[in-house]
Amino acid sequence: MKISYHWLKEYVAFHLSPQELAERLTDVGLVVADVKPVEDDFCLDIEVTSNRPDCLGVIGIAREVAAIVGGNVHFPETNYVLADAGISQTIAVTVDEPILCPRYTARVIRQITIAPSPEWMQKRLRCIGLRPVNNIVDITNYVMMETGQPLHAFDLDKITEQKIVVRKARSGEEIVALNGARRALFHNMLVIADGKKPVAIAGVMGGKETEVSETTRNILLECAQFEPRQVRRTSRELGIVSDSSYRFERGTDYECLDRASQRAARLIKDCSGGEIASDALDIKSGRHETKKITLRVKRLHTVLGTEIKRDLAIDILNKLSFTILNDNEDFIAVEVPGFRSDVYREIDLIEEIARIYGYNKIPVKTSISVRGNTKSKYEVVEDSVRQFFIGLGFYEVKTFSIVDTAPLQSVNLWSDRVGVEIANPLRLEESRLRTSLLPSLIGVKGHNLNHGTEHVRIFEIAKVYLAGDKLPQEKNCLSLLADADFLTIKGVFESLTRHLGIVLSCEWLPFIEPRLFRNERAARIQMGSAPVGYLGEASQELGFKAVSCLAEIDLDLLGEKANFARKYQDLPQYPAVFRDLALLVNEEVTWSSLERCIMNTGVDFLKELKFFDVYRGKQIPAGKKSVAFSLCFQAKDRTLTGEEVDHAQQIIVAALSGTVGAELRKA
Amino acid sequence: MEEKLEEIKRNLHEEIRSIDAQKNAEHLRIKYLGRKGIISDLMKLIPTLPIDSRADFGQQVNSLKREITDSIEALFKTVSVQAVPKVKVELFDITLPGKLPFVGRNHPLTQTIADIKEVFASLGFDVAYGPEVELEYYNFEALNIPADHPSRTDFDTFYIKNDVLLRSQTSTVQIRVMEKQKPPIRIIAPGRVYRPDTVDARHSFMFHQVEGLLVDENVSFADLKGVLYQFIKAYFGQNVQMRLRPSFFPFTEPSAEVDISCSLCEGRGCSVCSYSGWVEILGAGMVDPNVFKAVHYDAEKYTGFAFGMGVERITMLKYGINDIRLFYENDLRFLSQF
Repeated sequence: MKISYHWLKEYVAFHLSPQELAERLTDVGLVVADVKPVEDDFCLDIEVTSNRPDCLGVIGIAREVAAIVGGNVHFPETNYVLADAGISQTIAVTVDEPILCPRYTARVIRQITIAPSPEWMQKRLRCIGLRPVNNIVDITNYVMMETGQPLHAFDLDKITEQKIVVRKARSGEEIVALNGARRALFHNMLVIADGKKPVAIAGVMGGKETEVSETTRNILLECAQFEPRQVRRTSRELGIVSDSSYRFERGTDYECLDRASQRAARLIKDCSGGEIASDALDIKSGRHETKKITLRVKRLHTVLGTEIKRDLAIDILNKLSFTILNDNEDFIAVEVPGFRSDVYREIDLIEEIARIYGYNKIPVKTSISVRGNTKSKYEVVEDSVRQFFIGLGFYEVKTFSIVDTAPLQSVNLWSDRVGVEIANPLRLEESRLRTSLLPSLIGVKGHNLNHGTEHVRIFEIAKVYLAGDKLPQEKNCLSLLADADFLTIKGVFESLTRHLGIVLSCEWLPFIEPRLFRNERAARIQMGSAPVGYLGEASQELGFKAVSCLAEIDLDLLGEKANFARKYQDLPQYPAVFRDLALLVNEEVTWSSLERCIMNTGVDFLKELKFFDVYRGKQIPAGKKSVAFSLCFQAKDRTLTGEEVDHAQQIIVAALSGTVGAELRKA
Repeated sequence: MEEKLEEIKRNLHEEIRSIDAQKNAEHLRIKYLGRKGIISDLMKLIPTLPIDSRADFGQQVNSLKREITDSIEALFKTVSVQAVPKVKVELFDITLPGKLPFVGRNHPLTQTIADIKEVFASLGFDVAYGPEVELEYYNFEALNIPADHPSRTDFDTFYIKNDVLLRSQTSTVQIRVMEKQKPPIRIIAPGRVYRPDTVDARHSFMFHQVEGLLVDENVSFADLKGVLYQFIKAYFGQNVQMRLRPSFFPFTEPSAEVDISCSLCEGRGCSVCSYSGWVEILGAGMVDPNVFKAVHYDAEKYTGFAFGMGVERITMLKYGINDIRLFYENDLRFLSQF
C-alpha cells in the first residue's frame, strides 16, 4: 500500500525523515519496499501482510508509528450539521444476506455540486498514484485510503424505485462495471441492486449506470462490510480487482465503518456544498463482542527467551491501543481494539510486544544442546549412488515432476494404473505427474543437442508417482541416459550393485517397450521377486545419432537391499590356478545358461568364473559361436595340484557338453 | 651329435642375420637360452648318453652355450644401436595436454541441499521426508491455515482431487513427524514443492524448500535466532549480518522474515538487494499453539520453532544466477560450472 509522508504526519507527530520512518516501519513488520519523492511529498510503498488489514489505511499506519515513537493518533473531524429532511423518505434499504453483509450504512447527501476536489486532496491522491476525478469520487477514495474502509457513492437519481437491496445475483443478470467491463453475474455472487437490477458488485466495484457524473445532484453514500471469502471469490471469478476488493478480502473493521461514512459525508459537505440528510441507515446483523486476553509475564519471557520488563510490555500494549483491564506482577489482562481481528490469544500479544520491542534486540542464544544426528539408510544410499555416478562422469540433472500429456509421458514401467492428473493444471502441457523419469532425460538430451552438446551422460534421482487409493505411491527412482551400448551400461548397473554391497544376483529378462527401447536390446532386471529396473538401448524412434542407453532403477529397492556392513576376510595364503576355456556352442545358448550350468556342477575349489568374449569367424561353423572364459580355482589350506584342477575342469566341460552341447574349441 | 650341434650353430647365425629388432632378439634368446630352450633341451639329453661320452658332450654344449650367448649379446647391442635413431624421431612431448577423464557433477540444487544438511547435521538435526502428493489436511488445516485463506484456492495450489493436492510447502513434514514422534524433535525436511506460478526468470511451478523444526521444553525465540545465526554464518560466511523483521505465517507466532546483509554490495545497496543492503533468505517463527493442538502436543509444556527457505533462491544468491529456469533446463554448459 502506498501512503503519503505528509498525510501520515497529519495523524501522528514524529520527527523521522522518510528514510528513517521506512526503516522503523520495516523493523516492526511493515516492510517499506520503496520511498519515492513526489512533488513536495514522499510516497512510501508499504508491504502489508495479509493478517493486518487495519494497516491498509493511513490511520492504521499512524497507530503503528505512534507505538514506535510514543505518540497519540489524532483522528480527523467527523462532526457536521444535518439537513432537516431524513433519508427514509428518499430510499429504503434491505439486506437479504446478513451473513455476507454483516453491516450496511447509507447516507444521502443532496444538492451537491460536482467539481474538482481541493488541490490539497488531489495532491495527496497523486502522491499515492491515484488519478483525481471529481470531488465525490476523490473523497470516497481519500477516505478509503485514510481509514482503510471502502466507500461507494451512487447517483441517487439513477436508482430505480428508490430502493437498495443487498441480495444474490439472479441468473441472467449482468452489469457493466465502473471500469467499463461487462460481466455476466452468477447466483453465488452478492450484488447491490435497486428495484430492478444490480447497481454494484458488492465489495468489488460499482456499476457504470449509477456512476457519479458531471450532472449528479444527489448521492447515496454506501459504507458497508462484506464477507471476505465472498468478495475474494467474486473478484476472482469476474476477473475484477479493485482497491475495495483488496480491502474487503482481507477484512474490514466492523466498528469503524460508520465513522468512515461520517468522515466522507463531512468532506462532501465541505467540498461540494451538499446537505446531509438527517438520519443515516445502519443495518447491523453481526454481533460483535470485544475480546479479552490475559498475558502471563513468565510465558512472555519463556517464549521470547529474554526478560522484557512488565512495565515495558504494558507500555507497548497501551501504545498499540490495547486497553489494560487489569495487571499485577504475573498477569496483564487486556481488551483488544476492534480493528485488530488478528489478535485473539496470549501468543498474539507476545508477538505484538516482541514486534515493537524489536526482534533484533532479542538476544541470539546458542545454548541448543549438542546432539548427534543419524543419517537414514536411504540418505546414505542416495549420497553413495550420486558419488558413484559422478565418479563415472555422469552429470546430475533435475527435471520437472509435472509433465505434459505427450504419448512418451504415458510410459509407465512400474504400474498398470494410469498416471495422476492435476485437476487445475497451469497449462494443458503441464498437467500430469510423471510415471517415469526417462522421457524427461530424453528431453534434456534433446535440449543439449540443440545447443551443440553432442554427448551426454546424465542421471536423475527423483520420484515417480503411481496412482494409489488415497495418495499415490511415490517411488524414488534413479534414471540415466548415456551414449554407450547395452553391455557398458549393464556393467555400470552391476558395478553399482556391488558398490552398494548387494549380494542378491539379478535376472535379466527380455523386455519390450518400443517407445523407449530398441527391441531385443532391452531388459527387465529382476531382483528376487520384484523388478529392480529396466535397461536398454534407446529406441531408434528417438532419433539419436549415436548409440544411447537408458535405464530406470527402483532406488527404494536398491536402498533396501544395500548392505554397507563389511567384514574382513583373510587374504588367500595359497596360489590360485587359472584355466582359460573356449567353447563352441549353438548361437542360442546364453551366457547365463553356461554360467548356471558351471555353478550347478558344484565342483570343489572353483572360486571365480570370468567371461572373456564371444567370437564368430571363419574358423567357427555357421550357427555356432565360441565363448571364452576363465576359471579360477583356489583352496584355503593348500596349493592345488594339477590333477585336482584337471579333474574339476573335466567335470565342468562334461557338464557343459551334456547340458548345452558345448564342445571344447581346438586351436 | 656333433652334426646336430653344428646345425644349431648354423641356424642361429642364419636367424641372427635376419633379425632387425630388439623384440626379435629377445625371442631368439628365449628360444636358445631360455628355461625350455634348445640349450636346456640339450642339457637334458646328458643323462641319456653313455657315461663315458657325457663329459665331452657336456663341454661341447657349454661351449656352444657361450658362443650363442656371445652372439646374442652382440645382437642385442646392434639392434639397440640401430633402434636409437628411431627413438630420436619420435620425441615425446610432455607438454601435450593430458587426457581428461570424464568427471560428472552434482546438480547445484543438490549441492545446496547437501551444504544446508551439513550445517544442520552439526547442530544435531536429522533429515526427514514426506510425500509430495499430500492430503489437504497436512498442507493447510494442521498448519493453522484457515479454510478461507487465499493460498488454499486453486490459484495458489495444484489440486489432484478435492482433498488431495501437491504440497505447496515442506511444512507438511513437520506435522507428519510430530504425529509419529514425541518431543524433543530436531529435523530438517528438504524436498520439492509446487505452486501454479507461470514460469519466468524468478518463478517456477516446481521448486525446492528446506524446512526446519525444533521442539522441546523451554525453546525460545532467542534459540531460534541462535540456530539461524549459526546457519547463516556457516553457509554465507562469517562477515554476513542477520536481521529479523516481523512478518506473518499462519503456522508460526511470532513470525519473522530473516534477511542477511547483501554480500554482493556488502550492504551498500545494489540491484540484487533492491538497494536496501538486505536480502531476504528465509521465513521463521515460533510454532503456533494451534499447530501443537493439531498434533496433540501440550503447548504449555513444549515450545518450538520452525523455519523454511527456498533452495533455488539461496543457490541463486550464492552463485549470482539470474534465471531460475536454468536449474531445470539442465544445459551441460550450465551444470558443468558447479
